Amino acid sequence: MLEQQLINGLTLGVIYAMIAVGYTMVYGVIELINFAHGEIFMLGAFFCMTFITVFGVPFYLAIFLAMCCCAVCGVLLDIIAYRPLRNSPRLAALITAIGMSIFLQNLALMIWGSRPRPFPKDALPEFFSQTALTFGDVKLTWLQLFIFAVTIAMMVGLNLIITKTKAGTAMRALAQNKQAAALMGINVNRIISFTFILGSSMGAVAGVLVSVFYNTMYPMMGYTAGVKAFAAAVLGGIGSVPGAMIGGVILGVAEALGAGYVSSLYRDGVAYAIMIAVILFRPSGILGRLVGDKA
Amino acid sequence: MADDTVTIAVASPFTGPAAAYGDNIKAGVSMKVAEINEAGGINGKQVEVEWMDEKCDPREAATVAPKIAQNKDIVGVVGHLCSSAHLAALPTYTRAGVPAISPTATNVTISEKNTDRRGRVWGFRNVYRDDFQGQFLANYVKDVLGLEKIAVFHENNDYGIGLKDAFMGEAEKIDLDIVGVEAYIKGAQDFTPQLTKLKNENPDGLFIAGYYGEGALIASQANMLGLDVVKFGADGLDNADYINLADTAANNTYMTVPFLAAAAGPQAQEFIKEFEKEQGRSLDWMSANAYDAAGLLLQAVAEVGEDREEIRDYLISIDSPEEAYEGVTGKTYFNEQGDSQKSAYVKMVKDEEFVPAPKQMN
Repeated sequence: MLEQQLINGLTLGVIYAMIAVGYTMVYGVIELINFAHGEIFMLGAFFCMTFITVFGVPFYLAIFLAMCCCAVCGVLLDIIAYRPLRNSPRLAALITAIGMSIFLQNLALMIWGSRPRPFPKDALPEFFSQTALTFGDVKLTWLQLFIFAVTIAMMVGLNLIITKTKAGTAMRALAQNKQAAALMGINVNRIISFTFILGSSMGAVAGVLVSVFYNTMYPMMGYTAGVKAFAAAVLGGIGSVPGAMIGGVILGVAEALGAGYVSSLYRDGVAYAIMIAVILFRPSGILGRLVGDKA
Repeated sequence: MADDTVTIAVASPFTGPAAAYGDNIKAGVSMKVAEINEAGGINGKQVEVEWMDEKCDPREAATVAPKIAQNKDIVGVVGHLCSSAHLAALPTYTRAGVPAISPTATNVTISEKNTDRRGRVWGFRNVYRDDFQGQFLANYVKDVLGLEKIAVFHENNDYGIGLKDAFMGEAEKIDLDIVGVEAYIKGAQDFTPQLTKLKNENPDGLFIAGYYGEGALIASQANMLGLDVVKFGADGLDNADYINLADTAANNTYMTVPFLAAAAGPQAQEFIKEFEKEQGRSLDWMSANAYDAAGLLLQAVAEVGEDREEIRDYLISIDSPEEAYEGVTGKTYFNEQGDSQKSAYVKMVKDEEFVPAPKQMN
């Protein structure tokens, strides 16, 4: 049973990790807790579904198009809601983020209606639902392998972008000191937009994977996912990309084990208890640096 | 304004995680109101509906209720949908004297909390109670389906807990083995840890005491983990979306419903067709009950006028099959606690379609 629980937890964990990365990047660069990130995740699922059902686009292309749409949404979100408040107190931006989250939820409710929708299954590759590996009692489906593969590929790609490209270097410079980066000739707004593009497109993929895995999507699905991803980002050390990945996986596994061995009602409790413990004993998170470094 | 219209309030979740259920209520009430308005209204007055969104949240319901009570134009309420929300709103209705008919709230404690200080009932419902449903299900799965070892999943709210308690109480009496009990909160998506745990106990039945959104996920994830058992639950599972979301995993699910289209009378068949044409989906019991709840409230207005107290008196006087309101869900009449006496039917999912269960137990 333990092996099955670990697989359950890992599947959940890598998805949390993908959403958490988006959170943490935005925080790293502009120190804003982007509460609307969960809604970008939700929009990813709905865009993908719409491309498939309305325009008849094949599955893999639909994911790519959903990523593009969410990237645009992320950039617009920044331009409309966050950029005007860039130099205001941080609380103002935080409240705006919550406002945008509620706005996007209700927008989705108006466009797609409130009923939970299944993912258009006919568009999915045939082999997804088949069992890929079995060890004893434990089953792993191709879909789960696909989720792991996509997540790992995206994480590796993201790390390459951050460490090896010019824009990535600029992002890291911005995270260290915005003013100094600007003085070095970095176009701050453009790099922030770039951050939103990366984070939002990963959020979109996570949204698609979740709705395929559970075969359900609804306009409010971003809320819980967002809160969990936020917890994962804090756990890993907010602002740290590898931290968010580790945090997501730990959170997913802890939840599965908590629900499996303690009580299913405490599954969220277990997750948050871990988060609180980390904040108490290691406020910077597992891989984070203290915010004080930045001043 | 108030002079040429009759206003009723409909309190249900129209946004939030339970918004989809609220839409069922909206569809039912809208059709009743449109029907009355097209026929010339009530005593020449057109009927208007105030849609009050409470997100199925007890706190929101407690905020919405005083708004309804203070608006003197509103003659009565159809709602609330969720038992938890209904319970939170009832104190306001009984204190301020607002007649309310819930089409869907099945929790047991409502029967004691719907009276004012003088013992007069203000909260009515045209649906059976969870203790009835829970007991019925325990007997049905043992006697008709022949199940022996049951794993229980329940939503952690008044509805799920009430249902689970009644089921487990009866199970103990009739020697039905309960091998595990798991709770979840609304909106939960991942049930694999709990299902993995339950699978070890080798149950032959899975009781889902909750609503279809989460129920579909439980069914499909059980299927994914290779837990191939009979699923069953109460009216919360009854919606076409249960099948849409769970797909083939929905097969072999039994559920109790207060309304079974196949068993309904000729008047109902006409409504079922009308509903399908207008809403583009098959009729669910929530919409049918909401249609009748609105019909009942508006019949009261037609009979005694717009005074809230007289409407209440009228409703409580409908207390026998002879005086019953004839709606699409059959005869509705109330006992002295404001509860209607309705029987349960059993539906099942076969080849991704709802069909009446081959054996009923009435």
